[in-house]
Amino acid sequence: MNFPRATVIVLNGAQSLALLSCLLLPLICALVVLFLGKKRRQAGRGEPAPDWSIPAIDAQAAGRSLFHTWAPAVKIAALLATSFLVVSLNSLIWALAALVLCVLAVQLTGMPWTRPLKRLAALAGFLGMLVVILPLTSPVHPGDTIVLLPWLKSWPLNLAGVFLALTIVCKAAAVALLMEPMLATAPLARTLQGLTDLGLPPVLNQMILLCHRYIFVFQQEMHRMQRSMRVRGFAPRTDLATLRTMGNGFGMLFIRSFERTERVYEAMLSRGYQGIFPGETRQKITCPDLVKGALFIIIGLLLLAGDRLLPGIRF
Amino acid sequence: MHIADGVLPTAVAAGSYVLTLAGLGLSLRTVDSRDLPKIAVVTSSFFVASLIHVPLGPTSVHLVLPGIVGALLGPASFLSITVGLFLQSLLFQFGGLTALGANALMMGVPALLCGFFFRRFRGNTQTSNAIVGALVSGGGVLLAALFLALLLATGGEAFFGVAKMALLAHVPVMVIEALVGGFVISFLFRVKPELLAPRSRRKRA
Repeated sequence: MNFPRATVIVLNGAQSLALLSCLLLPLICALVVLFLGKKRRQAGRGEPAPDWSIPAIDAQAAGRSLFHTWAPAVKIAALLATSFLVVSLNSLIWALAALVLCVLAVQLTGMPWTRPLKRLAALAGFLGMLVVILPLTSPVHPGDTIVLLPWLKSWPLNLAGVFLALTIVCKAAAVALLMEPMLATAPLARTLQGLTDLGLPPVLNQMILLCHRYIFVFQQEMHRMQRSMRVRGFAPRTDLATLRTMGNGFGMLFIRSFERTERVYEAMLSRGYQGIFPGETRQKITCPDLVKGALFIIIGLLLLAGDRLLPGIRF
Repeated sequence: MHIADGVLPTAVAAGSYVLTLAGLGLSLRTVDSRDLPKIAVVTSSFFVASLIHVPLGPTSVHLVLPGIVGALLGPASFLSITVGLFLQSLLFQFGGLTALGANALMMGVPALLCGFFFRRFRGNTQTSNAIVGALVSGGGVLLAALFLALLLATGGEAFFGVAKMALLAHVPVMVIEALVGGFVISFLFRVKPELLAPRSRRKRA
């Protein structure tokens, strides 16, 4: 194959194995986490364990770290701004630096690593697709480096695509990790109050709270329906009958939810609901809060400045 | 499929945030405020439904739901989908927080279009409702996939291949969702037809 003005490197077996394993490392890590989780769930089967399949966002809300004491409004504003600065990075080395800093931030919260790792596992599908496809489909520009694997001569890998994919993986993982310090270090009501202080309409705040509450209720309901379907001999297969049964099941879930909304709303009205949930959940903004916010934004700006001025190896 | 952080150019991510916020503001103004708690509760049932996997050969797919949400909620569907996506990002990292605006546009705009189409053409019989429901459910996924491909393609030439793959990957989901959506709508038409009627007509009935 001919690539005008592009460097072509032909790898031998060992080198190509190293490159591939480096590319697929995030995927493998995610699979290990998933596998371990499944094994633990299987081991725990039989005991009436509570269902944690939908994680409670504020399970780790009690703590004493700098994120827990930080006023939510300032915390969210600063960390969201930092996230946008992180996703603007273009070079792998600075994205990697951002990832390391976000790992440090999660470590500083003092919370267990299960939830952050689950977040990374949830990213695996989308990022895996990018990592596999981008090196193969990136257009070749003059000066690019093409890597040919010994047993895949017809599928040249563009090194620029490899670096682009790995940069995206680092940025996505960094922001995903930052979600934990940003949104999981205060009770959900207080986090949402912080968002309201930043300009989110109060009705949306309440919608999110209500929706979050009823997700757990309807999940129980769905589990009950699935259990009774299994008891009646339903086994999901790839056929029209399965789709019809599941369609009816979804329809039933929606009907029950619509019927429940009327009762929920009447119960709220009878308890004096007038458009807001009572209860002061606002936290006063103090000087240390602002200092922390400024610090994080400065770190983000430094990363961006480094990225633009000293990109290091850039493809 | 949801877009993760760091994939889109920052200008696109921020721009779609602005558009989504404008859409939310518009929805909040047009939807009756007494309906908002109800929409929130219904949103949680959509959220739960999107977590259920439908078997497909050796693997399984989960529903994307923009068509059905549009058919059931009409103009309020954008609100419902944005709240649902925020919680999905918050709880599961399905879709990045910086890409929330893009994800909301990608799912919310098809839902609005599907809702309009469904209410306009659903007719009065069970068959016509089921057929239009199936069309709308499959079409919702198709539109969402087109939006996804378009958003990915804003990243430049390097992303064109990914955009095409993402579009292709949605074809089986589209077929499954069209079938399930048809069954859901026909079930609702038999069991609780007033859910499918627009609000104004529901009041008169």
